[in-house]
Amino acid sequence: MNTFVQTLVDGIGRGSTYALLALGISLIFGVMHLVNFAHAELITVGAYVAYFLSTRGLGWWALAPAIVVSAVLASMLTERVAFRWVRTASPFTMLLTSFALERLSHALWQVFVSPTKQSFDGPSWAFDTVSLGGIRFEVHDLVTIGTTAVVLALTAFVFRRTLFGLSVRAASEDFDAARLMGVRANRVIVGAFAFAGFLAGVAAVLTLMRSPSAEPTLGADPLIKAVVAAIIGGLGSFSGAVVGGLALGLAEVVLRGYLPEGVFERLTDAFVFVLIALLFIARPQGLFTVRSAERV
Amino acid sequence: MTVAVRVGRSVVASAVWLGLLAVAATIYTSGGGAARDLLVQELLVNLVVVLGLQIFIGNTGILSFGHLAFVQLAAYGVALVMIPVAAKATALPDLPLGLGDVELGSLSATVIGIVVAVAVGAVVGVAVARAGGLAATMITLAALFVVDQVVKNWTELTKGAGGLSGIPRLTTNTWLWLAAAVALIVAHAFRESRIGRFAVATREDEIAASAVGIDLFWPRWIAWVVSIAVVALAGALRVQMIGSTNPKQYTLDVGVLLLAMLVAGGMRTVTGAVVGTVVINVGNEIFRQLGDHYEIERLPELFLGGVLLLVMLVRPGGLLGDADLAGWLPRRTAAPAVRRDAAATATSRPTPPVPVDAERAAAETESTAVAAPVDEGVLTATDVVVRFGGYKALDGARVRVRPGEIVGLIGPNGAGKTTLFNVVTGLVAAQAGVVKLGHDDLTASPPHMVARGGLARTFQNLRLFPTLSVRENVELAATSAARFRPDVAAPDVAQLLADGGLAAVAERRASTLDYGSQRRLELARAAALRPAFLLLDEPTSGMSDRESAAMVDQVRATARNLGAGVLVIDHDLGFITRISDHIVVLAEGKVIAEGRPDAIRQDPAVVAAYLGRDAAGVS
Repeated sequence: MNTFVQTLVDGIGRGSTYALLALGISLIFGVMHLVNFAHAELITVGAYVAYFLSTRGLGWWALAPAIVVSAVLASMLTERVAFRWVRTASPFTMLLTSFALERLSHALWQVFVSPTKQSFDGPSWAFDTVSLGGIRFEVHDLVTIGTTAVVLALTAFVFRRTLFGLSVRAASEDFDAARLMGVRANRVIVGAFAFAGFLAGVAAVLTLMRSPSAEPTLGADPLIKAVVAAIIGGLGSFSGAVVGGLALGLAEVVLRGYLPEGVFERLTDAFVFVLIALLFIARPQGLFTVRSAERV
Repeated sequence: MTVAVRVGRSVVASAVWLGLLAVAATIYTSGGGAARDLLVQELLVNLVVVLGLQIFIGNTGILSFGHLAFVQLAAYGVALVMIPVAAKATALPDLPLGLGDVELGSLSATVIGIVVAVAVGAVVGVAVARAGGLAATMITLAALFVVDQVVKNWTELTKGAGGLSGIPRLTTNTWLWLAAAVALIVAHAFRESRIGRFAVATREDEIAASAVGIDLFWPRWIAWVVSIAVVALAGALRVQMIGSTNPKQYTLDVGVLLLAMLVAGGMRTVTGAVVGTVVINVGNEIFRQLGDHYEIERLPELFLGGVLLLVMLVRPGGLLGDADLAGWLPRRTAAPAVRRDAAATATSRPTPPVPVDAERAAAETESTAVAAPVDEGVLTATDVVVRFGGYKALDGARVRVRPGEIVGLIGPNGAGKTTLFNVVTGLVAAQAGVVKLGHDDLTASPPHMVARGGLARTFQNLRLFPTLSVRENVELAATSAARFRPDVAAPDVAQLLADGGLAAVAERRASTLDYGSQRRLELARAAALRPAFLLLDEPTSGMSDRESAAMVDQVRATARNLGAGVLVIDHDLGFITRISDHIVVLAEGKVIAEGRPDAIRQDPAVVAAYLGRDAAGVS
């Protein structure tokens, strides 16, 4: 029972980061049909900002908000310098634009900072353990789950109760109709990028709390996981992204824990991807028809 | 164009590129050094991979990140059968499948490598071709990760991340040049082939492609398999050039580098692929040397990301767009060449084609159904019900068109006219109802089968193949007719263009035509299928009165020449009453009236539907 609960918490903790990133990817897909492969670069931006500030002697409580702010700004910057210009282009062009940004981000850190890993000090309490009802938990897992729950509640509030949130949801349903109803395209899209940046910033804080270091390709692994999670949930579906992220985190932990040892255990990721591919084969259109069907 | 001309153009264009590359490489390497020779090798390998990518991505418009997975499969396949038995015994003691005792020569190993990659690729291709669009891209991404994980983790076979080495190496570049020549010819020939042009049609517009009888699956799948074979050739040769292989050579990052080469020049043409490969490779090398000189690491990465971003923002079609060497070569093509092409296909069949002119003469003298491609075939849709969620778009609608007859379909906005078209042509599945052409039940047929059965349509908001020329738009439908409708006479593309008043603009891109010409082109393309019935969705929408009057003549002439029946939707009542023999009025998904045009104009139910009950009461 204890190990089961611990596995569960571990999985939800891991899945929380995926969920926050996937939610951002889904949000941007909703408003402009872009699968943003540069999204996880926001974590890298946050990591380098934290690294630079920590070399100036700042502590974790100053770093965390700086990470979130820098991710929001960087996200809005990518919209302004790149994605705005391909807004009406084909998904193909948008996808490659995001890949170009991802590569450019990797290269910029490699050329102008360093290709190697730069470590800094995270919070000292991250790996302390606390005992709840006789089961021991690591603090970072609890902080991750708690923070994610608060952020998701905030997100739900924004998208249900505020004008901005309603505009974004309307734009995800049908952008043209939303514009005719007076929703301003630029505001919605920039706002979506800012909000996605905020979610990625929180994800960055939670990731860096566990492993406080910056390196150019930091975003590569979380990116793939987040894209997969967003796809499992159905791109453009917000609750789907959260469910997809948590499911992926749990699936990883559970598969790793219960697959027979040997080749199978080492192929956990391969299994996950085979499952994803099967999902697409079963529902190629279903996963992507967020907007109403094309008129003929 | 005849097959000979198409093959000729492919070979000549390939020879020109190969010659230019050979001259450039000779000049470059004469400057000295083994390093320069290595760069030429790298360029050639990249060229073969990029040409392979062009065959699939360029022609189908589906982005693939997964091709490197198959390059990798081919490379490991070659490595595992070529590494000497003695070396395997020490380095790979636990080789499964009895591979420990295999030691093959270069040629058979290359063949095995390609076969392995193509066999796996053919299976993955089924999923890719079925999905299409973004979903297909995601499947290719999944394929890349699965192969990567398997290679990294099946250490008994692959030695994991460390990779395999000790593969006997090729000593000359001859094989690489040969591979480049093969890839160039295959890429050119594929674009010129029938299946290649069908693939391009699916790239341009999926719905329009299926409306001229092109199945989306096969062109995509065949393009995929051919392109996998070409990139696998590159993988098989590369591992023999450098003598080793490891998973780092096949990551997503490398894949994006290769995609950058493809899109930088222009992915839709072989010319673009060649130029892009050269530009990115040369640029990469320049930035590498700059980086060495100023001691900046990873400078080429910056160049690559910058170039890719710039191309996407400024010229998403690539530096050259659609400019193509094969297209500049003299078009040794007489206008009726397609007919010969089609006739060549048809002679192998038992029914020889009826000469088009004779048939047209027959149609003109004996008026209606005599020359109709399908005898006595009447098009009927009965009791059609379609619901979109809670909304009943069609509620027991019916329509009947006899061969040679022109039936007008009118009704207020939202009456279900286009939905009825979509049901008849297989784009929308009806919840109830039957669609029949003669004795054939078309109810559950997919759009391309409906088109092959003899129903051609146009679209309310125009669906041309936008980046293709006017002639190619019509030729595609003609090629499809020659292939899939062997029982009807081959269409005369030149005549169709002339009839539509499009002969003067035949070589222009379809998207650059004015609106009226685009409508006429769409009609000409539909007619090129030589259909038994034409379904025209608002052919005069957005046209001036004069254009609309000319459209009456074009529709009448086209129908007469084909001996086809016509079902036409339009909001222009003047146009409809002038052109129709019979009118059906839809409102709220039901037929509320039908009959001769003059009778319909007086019908109170029709007036009520258009103008409201009060107006009907007054009149």
